[in-house]
Amino acid sequence: MPDPLVAAEVTRGARGTRGAHIGLAKVAIDRENEEQRVVGCLAAVFFLAALLFAIYGWQQGDTFFLRLGTEALIYAGLALSVDLLLGHGGLLSLGHALFFGLGAYVSALILKDVSPSFWLAIAGGTLSGLLAGTVGGIIAIRARGVYFALITFGMAQVVAKIIYNTQELGASDGIIGIPIVPISLGIVDIRSDDPFAFFTLTLVIVAAIYVLLSYATRTPYGRVLSAIRVNESRLPFLGYSPAYTKLGAFVISSMIAGLSGSLYPMLRGFVSPELMYFEVSTNAVIAVVIGGAGTLVGPLFGAMALVFGKSVVGSYTEHHLIVVGVFFMASVIFLPQGFAGFVKDRFMGSQDDRS
Amino acid sequence: MDYLQFVLAPQMLNGLSFGLAVILMALGLTIIFGLLDVINMAHGEFYAIGAYVGFVLLGMGLNFWLVVALVPILMLPLGYITERFLVRRVFHSADRHTLTLLLTLGLSMILMDVLKITFGPNTVKPAIPVTGGIEVFDVFLPAYRMLLIAFGAAVITAVYILIYRTSIGAIIRAAAFDKDMASSLGVRVSRVYSMTFAVGVALAGLSGILLAPVFSVFPTMGHDFIILAFTVVIVGGMGSIKGAVLAGLLLTQVQAVASLIVSPVWTDPILFGIMVLVLMLRPQGLFGRLGHA
Repeated sequence: MPDPLVAAEVTRGARGTRGAHIGLAKVAIDRENEEQRVVGCLAAVFFLAALLFAIYGWQQGDTFFLRLGTEALIYAGLALSVDLLLGHGGLLSLGHALFFGLGAYVSALILKDVSPSFWLAIAGGTLSGLLAGTVGGIIAIRARGVYFALITFGMAQVVAKIIYNTQELGASDGIIGIPIVPISLGIVDIRSDDPFAFFTLTLVIVAAIYVLLSYATRTPYGRVLSAIRVNESRLPFLGYSPAYTKLGAFVISSMIAGLSGSLYPMLRGFVSPELMYFEVSTNAVIAVVIGGAGTLVGPLFGAMALVFGKSVVGSYTEHHLIVVGVFFMASVIFLPQGFAGFVKDRFMGSQDDRS
Repeated sequence: MDYLQFVLAPQMLNGLSFGLAVILMALGLTIIFGLLDVINMAHGEFYAIGAYVGFVLLGMGLNFWLVVALVPILMLPLGYITERFLVRRVFHSADRHTLTLLLTLGLSMILMDVLKITFGPNTVKPAIPVTGGIEVFDVFLPAYRMLLIAFGAAVITAVYILIYRTSIGAIIRAAAFDKDMASSLGVRVSRVYSMTFAVGVALAGLSGILLAPVFSVFPTMGHDFIILAFTVVIVGGMGSIKGAVLAGLLLTQVQAVASLIVSPVWTDPILFGIMVLVLMLRPQGLFGRLGHA
């Protein structure tokens, strides 16, 4: 447990002795472990609540909320991919709908024209994320800061327009009539139109993405990525290449976005160019920001709040953008660390040394 | 020859009139970025608001040119309030690039929905105020487009003179170059920020009302337009006035000609390709920032 007094003591001593340096590092590590514990608790709460929700829905024979929850989970996957870039690399992508939508289209085409195979579809979606992410990444990582945001924004917009105008891909109508997918999981066989089973499967996939990412951000590679956010110019002096690190993060992130997107047509039975539109990208960013960027668990909560909030507000008025916008702006102004950041500070005392 | 007279020349002329409106829009974006370091994602919505305000004023029976003069004046307070009460709240945080971008993004969502509620989702179109045209070398020149070109060029020149030839402009450039030094020399930097933001928003509104009779007016009109404006700003160099003008002319001409030769569908990828190319060769854009060049 990092004691604020000890921390202050060590900080004061740090100017002088080497021992104090080690002490300071120890405090930092302690603090980080503490952070990890809080975040881990939040994640446990999230996945447990989702599981309880699923079981309750299953007992009630519910379809609507389970499918809405599945959609929220799919968007949570997208939000996780955005958080890897924004929260860890400090790279704000306003175009992740590109990879999400691409994954959805590739998955839809595979399911419809090749074979209704679950594994083939998600492999195709992930692979499309890998390829598009490599090309897009090479273009986008050249730019820093706001330029990066604007380029990803433009990239997604251009591709969305091309798809919108491509007759072979159904143009503005998209692709409809995607068959129900039988999914063989070894022990059990489920179908994509079973709300409970598909929700649980999506939950497992999102949990896997979460575990993978929270592990990856603690590896040396993840540390270098975080270092880019803090001070990119200093990295080359330490012998690291910011460009390759950023490209790697971008590709991983777009693969996750593609994977999440590939689940969409199985849930809704269609894909449309709207999946690539700016709204999808911004929703992912909003989920990350209100949930708490850089925590990975925050965006999960953020995506839930956004999808369910929209559904609730949407039943009263079709102008849910205002509500979301106000909520989002309030969060940016008053809670820049987001929900998870708020909880973290609450449980750890506010000796926050990040500026 | 017929091709030149009936197809290419009118198309390039359309491109030019469109280009001047784009430049007005991009000028606002680039000045705000050059001075405040803020990407205004709500700029497209201010453009739409300008068009709607103009549409309402026209509906009240006012003369078109009076409306063109009134709209930017009415937009000034809106820009001032946005800077004073929203942008400034997160301006001094460490992460201000991202936060101001996110904040204006939220604002753009709200404004778009407010427009939808107030005016309905349908398209409206004010009548073209000046009909007819003249023929030069057998090329028909629609009068309104010619006026748009002349008027746009005049406004751009005025902005240029304001920034580079007046004492107000010197203050703005000084604040952009070194805000602390400018502040210690007695410049009220925060007021300069608010005013400049207001002027940028007014320019967006002006662009909106000028283009309203040519295109139409609908709640999401700023959305498509802002991508082009951003492309112009990036190619020209963020914060550069000269860059915005040259890139605006260049890109809209490319767009006009490419939509004839290739297909309108492919103009966006072509413009985007140019932007990527410029970023690879000159990441800072064609020209330097406001106050730095």
